[in-house]
Amino acid sequence: MNQENENFEQLRRLLALKRHEQPPPGYFNNFSKQVIARIEAGEKGEEGAFFERLLWEAPWLQRIWAAFEAKPILAGGFGVAVCGFLVTGVLFSDKPDTSSVGLMPTPTMETAPMALADVSAADHPLLAKPVMLEPSSTSPIDTAQTSDSFLGEIGKLRAQPASFSFPGVH
Amino acid sequence: MTEPASHKVSKPPDKPADEPAAAPVPVEEMELVRRARRGDLEAYDELVRRYQERVYATVYHMTANHEDANDLAQEAFIKAFQALKSFKGGSSFYTWVYRIAVNKTINFLKQRKNKAQMSLDDLDFNAEHDPDLVALISDKTPRREVGLAELQEKLNAAMQKLSESHRLVVTLHDVQGLSHEEIGKIMDCNIGTVRSRLFYARQQMQAYLSDYLK
Repeated sequence: MNQENENFEQLRRLLALKRHEQPPPGYFNNFSKQVIARIEAGEKGEEGAFFERLLWEAPWLQRIWAAFEAKPILAGGFGVAVCGFLVTGVLFSDKPDTSSVGLMPTPTMETAPMALADVSAADHPLLAKPVMLEPSSTSPIDTAQTSDSFLGEIGKLRAQPASFSFPGVH
Repeated sequence: MTEPASHKVSKPPDKPADEPAAAPVPVEEMELVRRARRGDLEAYDELVRRYQERVYATVYHMTANHEDANDLAQEAFIKAFQALKSFKGGSSFYTWVYRIAVNKTINFLKQRKNKAQMSLDDLDFNAEHDPDLVALISDKTPRREVGLAELQEKLNAAMQKLSESHRLVVTLHDVQGLSHEEIGKIMDCNIGTVRSRLFYARQQMQAYLSDYLK
């Protein structure tokens, strides 16, 4: 180690020149005041510092952030990957919906509405006992529930032609 | 910035201490940290004043730019205050705030890559009378002042050619006089790594400055 130090003795003497580099006179008189003023100003706008604190408290996040800042291509790649996942997610989440709609038998006017309502109501988790739903001739909406989801039915209400019959009129 | 200098910059030790620094954490410092953690800004002001020169100097020697060093050193102290709750006291506040400043500086340098612009601090009066420096420049130029300024620029340019981690080791050890152990704690690496980085960095510097090292 001493041999190593001797080899670099001149360099170390030269590097000592850097100790003579000094900031402008009086620079440190105000330094701490500026720091405190910035802290006080920052406390007023605490929300803005949240992300920075998050980065500090999660070093791995800081490393990722630093990598993104240093290599924008990484950030671009990450963005593309996220977009890809989103698009894939949207495409795959749409498919089951359409297939289930396609597989579900659409009740026609010929099917017995009362029977259909009875079966679907019995299967429904929110309706423990069968409920007899009688379609009203004045109601254009078929309220028969045919799937397991209660809320899912909201979007599946179908319109039926209303038929009005007045006594004596054919 | 133009006030008369009433705060003399403490000069780091002439020779770096190679032996481990076994300085215990002063009780008073821990008390200041506790008070600052509770939001006492006067206590934190005292902590900042204790370490501002060393933190500024480290960042300045890494960036070779006064304005950048000013911003980064201030931001390091602000970040340290915000993160005081996570300071467990396992190391001294000084080592901890140093680490924050170093990480901040390295991140900044990675972003700044290839856009480095030097804005060097002036040499103090003592530089002209430093016998080691006089000996180094006396055969280069008869005009001592010009020689020092030139040497300063070449030295900083050579340091900027080093990688961030190598520059940091040279700054902390050869300029600031920290021990290998302290540097290991700050850089979160073992002493062997510090030594090997220092050796490699010195070799590089020697090659860059061969004209000035006879």
